[in-house]
Amino acid sequence: MTELAKQQAEILLAIRGLSVEYLVGDTRLRAVDQVSFTVNKGETVGLAGESGCGKSTLAFALAKLHKPPALIAEGEVLYKGRDVLSFDDEELRRFRWKETSVVFQSAMNCLNPVISINAQICDVLSAHHPEMNRGELQDRARELLQIVGIHPDRLNQYPHQFSGGMRQRAVLAISLALKPQLIIMDEPTTALDVVVEREIMDQLSELKQQFGFSILLISHDLSLMGEITDRIAVMYAGKLVEIAPSEEVLFNPKHPYTKGLVNSFPHLLGEKKELTGIAGNPLNLYSPPAGCYFEERCPERIWLCKSTDPALITLNPQHKAKCHLLG
Amino acid sequence: MKNLLSFFKGNTPATVGTIIVLVFVLLSVFAPWITPYDANKRVARGHQPPSAEYILGTTRSGKDVLSQVIYAGRISLLVGFGAGLLATIIAVLVGITSAYAGGKVDAFLMFVTNVFLVMPGLPMIIVLAAFLGQVGPLSIALILGLFGWAGGARVLRAQALSIREKEFVTAAEVIGESKWRIVIVEMLPNMVSLIVGTFAGAALGAVMGQAALEFIGLGDPTVISWGTMLQWAQHSSALIVGAWWEAIVPGVAIALFAGGLTLFNMGMDQVSNPQLKGSKNLKRWKKLNDELQAQRKAKLAASKASISKKSAQDGVMPV
Amino acid sequence: MGRFLGSRLLFYIAAFMVAVTFNFVLPRMMPGDPFEIMFAAAQGKIQPEQMAVLKEQFGFVAGPWHVQFWDYVKGIFSGDLGPSLTYYPTPVTEIIAGALPWTVFLAGTSTLICLIIGILLGIFSAYNRGGKFDSIVAPALAFIGAFPQMVSAMLILFGLGVFLNWFPVGYGYNPDIDAGWTLAFFGSVAYHAALPLITMVICGIGGWLFLMRNSMINTLGEDYITMGKAKGLSTRRVMVNYAARNAALPVVTAVAMALSFVVAGALIIELIYNYPGLGNEMLGAVASRDYPLLQGLLLIIVVCVLTANFLADLAYFWLDPRLRK
Repeated sequence: MTELAKQQAEILLAIRGLSVEYLVGDTRLRAVDQVSFTVNKGETVGLAGESGCGKSTLAFALAKLHKPPALIAEGEVLYKGRDVLSFDDEELRRFRWKETSVVFQSAMNCLNPVISINAQICDVLSAHHPEMNRGELQDRARELLQIVGIHPDRLNQYPHQFSGGMRQRAVLAISLALKPQLIIMDEPTTALDVVVEREIMDQLSELKQQFGFSILLISHDLSLMGEITDRIAVMYAGKLVEIAPSEEVLFNPKHPYTKGLVNSFPHLLGEKKELTGIAGNPLNLYSPPAGCYFEERCPERIWLCKSTDPALITLNPQHKAKCHLLG
Repeated sequence: MKNLLSFFKGNTPATVGTIIVLVFVLLSVFAPWITPYDANKRVARGHQPPSAEYILGTTRSGKDVLSQVIYAGRISLLVGFGAGLLATIIAVLVGITSAYAGGKVDAFLMFVTNVFLVMPGLPMIIVLAAFLGQVGPLSIALILGLFGWAGGARVLRAQALSIREKEFVTAAEVIGESKWRIVIVEMLPNMVSLIVGTFAGAALGAVMGQAALEFIGLGDPTVISWGTMLQWAQHSSALIVGAWWEAIVPGVAIALFAGGLTLFNMGMDQVSNPQLKGSKNLKRWKKLNDELQAQRKAKLAASKASISKKSAQDGVMPV
Repeated sequence: MGRFLGSRLLFYIAAFMVAVTFNFVLPRMMPGDPFEIMFAAAQGKIQPEQMAVLKEQFGFVAGPWHVQFWDYVKGIFSGDLGPSLTYYPTPVTEIIAGALPWTVFLAGTSTLICLIIGILLGIFSAYNRGGKFDSIVAPALAFIGAFPQMVSAMLILFGLGVFLNWFPVGYGYNPDIDAGWTLAFFGSVAYHAALPLITMVICGIGGWLFLMRNSMINTLGEDYITMGKAKGLSTRRVMVNYAARNAALPVVTAVAMALSFVVAGALIIELIYNYPGLGNEMLGAVASRDYPLLQGLLLIIVVCVLTANFLADLAYFWLDPRLRK
C-alpha cells in the first residue's frame, strides 16, 4: 500500500471546511468558520478553546445534532470516506451511536429523568439491534455497567438516584453500548470535582486501551487534555488557529493565542511564574474584522495582521498554525 | 417607555390583545356619548332583527341591543377589573410574604392558598350568594376577588423564591437594607411582567365568573351586565324563537373581551418564556436548513455521477 | 411513597373541614333569621315543631359555638345532612344520591376525553410547530374555548339539537325507558349525554392542547432529547418516551387545578341542557332557598373535587419516579 493509502486507511473522521452559522433575525453569524482536521483510528484528539469559540457547536454539527438557529452552511464531515452531512434520515439514524456516540457535558441533564437507566441502555441497543431479545438486552446492559464500575444491581434505578460521578459513568456506559469507533466528549468532567474527574479520566483511559476507540475531547482545560490526548486542535472565534501533537502545543506553541492559553495555566512544579492572561475582549461575531480574528488582542501582531486573514500554515506535517509570523 | 414598545414588537398576541381590551375600555368610558338609545327604555317592538335603525336588533322587551351591550360592558368591565385588582393585590401580598418570610408563615399561607385552589369556587360562591340574598355588582366583585387570588399567589411565590435566591438580594441583605426596601426595590421590579399577567388572568376569571353568576340569576336584576343579558336571552328562548341576536351579541362581547385578555396573557407568556416566541424565525430556519440539505444531496449525487462516469471511462468499478 | 400520599390525604381532609366550617358559619352570618326564610321556602310543608329538628341539623343547639360545631360535624360524618325543604321530607342524601352519578359521568367523561385528545393534539402541534395545525387550528380551538360556556352551550343546543335535530336537548335519558342494566337504557343515556359532552369537550380542549403544546416545546429544548436523537432512536420513541412522558407532568398537575373549573362548567351545562345532575339541583335549590339541600350539595361537590384531586396526585406519583424516593 502506498504511504498515502496507508494514511487514508488510518483516518476515521475527516472534517473538511466545516462552517456553522447561527440565524439571528436576518443576520447569519459564523460560529464555526472553515474548520478542517482529521481524527485517526485509535487516536485521542483534543479540541480546546475558551467559552464561545465554537467548539461545542462544531461537535454537535458532526452528527448533525445542531439545533435551531444553527445551520451547517458549508463543508463535509467524512466518516470513513462518506459525508455524514449528506446522509438521509435512515442512514443518519443507523450511523448515530453505532459509529459515533456523544458524551454530553451535564450527565444529569442528558439522562431522561422518568425512565430507568436500564431502559435508557436497552432502548439504544434494541433500536440498532432489533434481533436481540429481552434476556440478551439485560445481559448486555449489566455488562456495560460493570465495565464502567457501577454495580449491576443499580440497573433499574433512576438518574436522580445516582451521584454526579456515577451519572457520568452511566452516560459513559451508554456511549459504549454499540462499540462505536468514535466517541465525542463535550466537556465530560467540567461539572465534576477534581477527585471524581480523576476517576472518570482513568476509567476512560482503561476503556480506550481495552476497546481501541477514538476520542474527540472538547474542553477548555488544557492541562487535562495534556494528559490523555495525542493531538490538540485550538479554536478561536470559530476558526482553527493551531493543531499539533499535544507536547508541541503545550511546550512549543506557535500561535500567540495558544501561547496565551498555555501561559494561563500554572505549572504544578517548578518556580512560581507570573501568570499572563490574554488581554482584551472576545470577538464580536456581528462585525468580524477583515484581517486576523486574534489581531486585536495579540501581543505579537504586525502591520499585516489587521488587513489580511492569515492562512493555516504547515510547519511540518503534524503541526499547523494560522499566523503571519510563521509564513 | 422604550421597554414598553419593545414588549409589543414582534409579539402579535400581546399587541392584538391589548388593542381589543383598549377598545372595550374606550367604549365603556364613552358609553353615554356613543349609544344611540337609552339602554333601559323600550324603544321598539320586541325581537326586531338587526336593521339600520337598530344595528344589533332589539330584545324581547324591545330595548336596543347595541346600547344595552355597551352599557352592560361598563358593569362587566368594572367588576372584572375590580375583582382582578383585588385578587392581584392579595396574590402579591400572600405570594411575596410567603416566599420572603419562609418557615411557619410560608407553610401556613401555602396551606390557605392550596385550600382556596382546590375548592370549587363557583359552587361556594353560589351558596354564599344564596345566603346573602341579592348581591349587587360591588358585592360580586368583592366575592370574586376574594376567591380568585390563589392561583396567582402560587405562581408569584414561586417566582419570588427564585429571585430571593439570586445574588443581588443577598447582597442587599448583607448591606443591611430593610426587608421592605428589598421587597419593593429589588424584588418587585423583576416580577412586574408576572404580576401584570396575574392581573389579566384574574380579570379574565372574574368576567367569566360574573357572567356565570348573573346567568344563573344571582346578580342584581336591575343592573344590566353581559351576564344578565344572557340570562334574559335564555329566558326568552331567544335562539329557539329565532332572535339569535339577543343571545349572540352579549356572548360575542364576552368572548371578544375574554379573548383579548387571553391573547394579552399569551403575549406575557412569551416575554417570560422566550422559547415560546414567534415561529417566524423558525420557519425561516427550517427553509434554510432544508435548502442546505438539498444542496448537499445534489453535490453528492453529482459527484457519484462523475465518479461512475470516470470509472466507466477507466474501466474500473466505482467505490 | 406513603409519606407523600399521606400528607396529601391529610391536606384534603383539612380542606374538607374548611368547607364544613364554611357551611357552619354561613347561616350565622347572613342578614335575617335563616330559619324564618326556610320556613317560608318550605311553603307550609314543615310544621313548626319540625323546625326544631331542622335547627338541630344545622347545629343550632343549646350551648357555646364550639359545642354546636362539634355537633354539626358529628352529624355530617354520620351521613345526616338533613331534609330538603322543596322535597320535604326527602332527606338531602337521597337527592344527592340520585343526582351524583349524572354529574360524575358528565364531568369525568368530558375531562378524560379533553385530556386524551388535548394531549395528543398538543404533541402534534408542538411537533409541527409553525405548521398549518399549529398556526390555525390550535388558536381557533383556543378561541372557541374562550367563549363563555353558556353561549357555546346555547349555540350547540340550537345548532345540533333544535336545528339539525341530531341529539335530544334535555334530560339524562328518555323518560319512557325504564332505568336498568339494559342496552336500551345505556343507549338512551349516551344519546342524551351527547350534546352536553360535546359542549364541554369543545369548550375545554383548547386549553389542554396549548398546555401540552407549550410543555412539549419546553421539554424539546432539553439535553436528554438531543441525546435521544444522538442515540439514533426512532422519532416516535423520542417523541413519546422522552418528550411526551416528561411534558405530560405539568399537564397532570394542571388537571388538579382545573377540576374546580370543570365543576363550574358542568353546573352551567346542566342548567342549559336540563341535565339531572348536582348542578341542576343546586340551581333549583338557590331559587327556592332550600338551604339544607344547598349545603349538602356543596359538601358533596367538595368531596368529589377533592377525590379527583387525590386521583390526580396518584397519577402524578405513578408518572414521576422522582417522587418515589
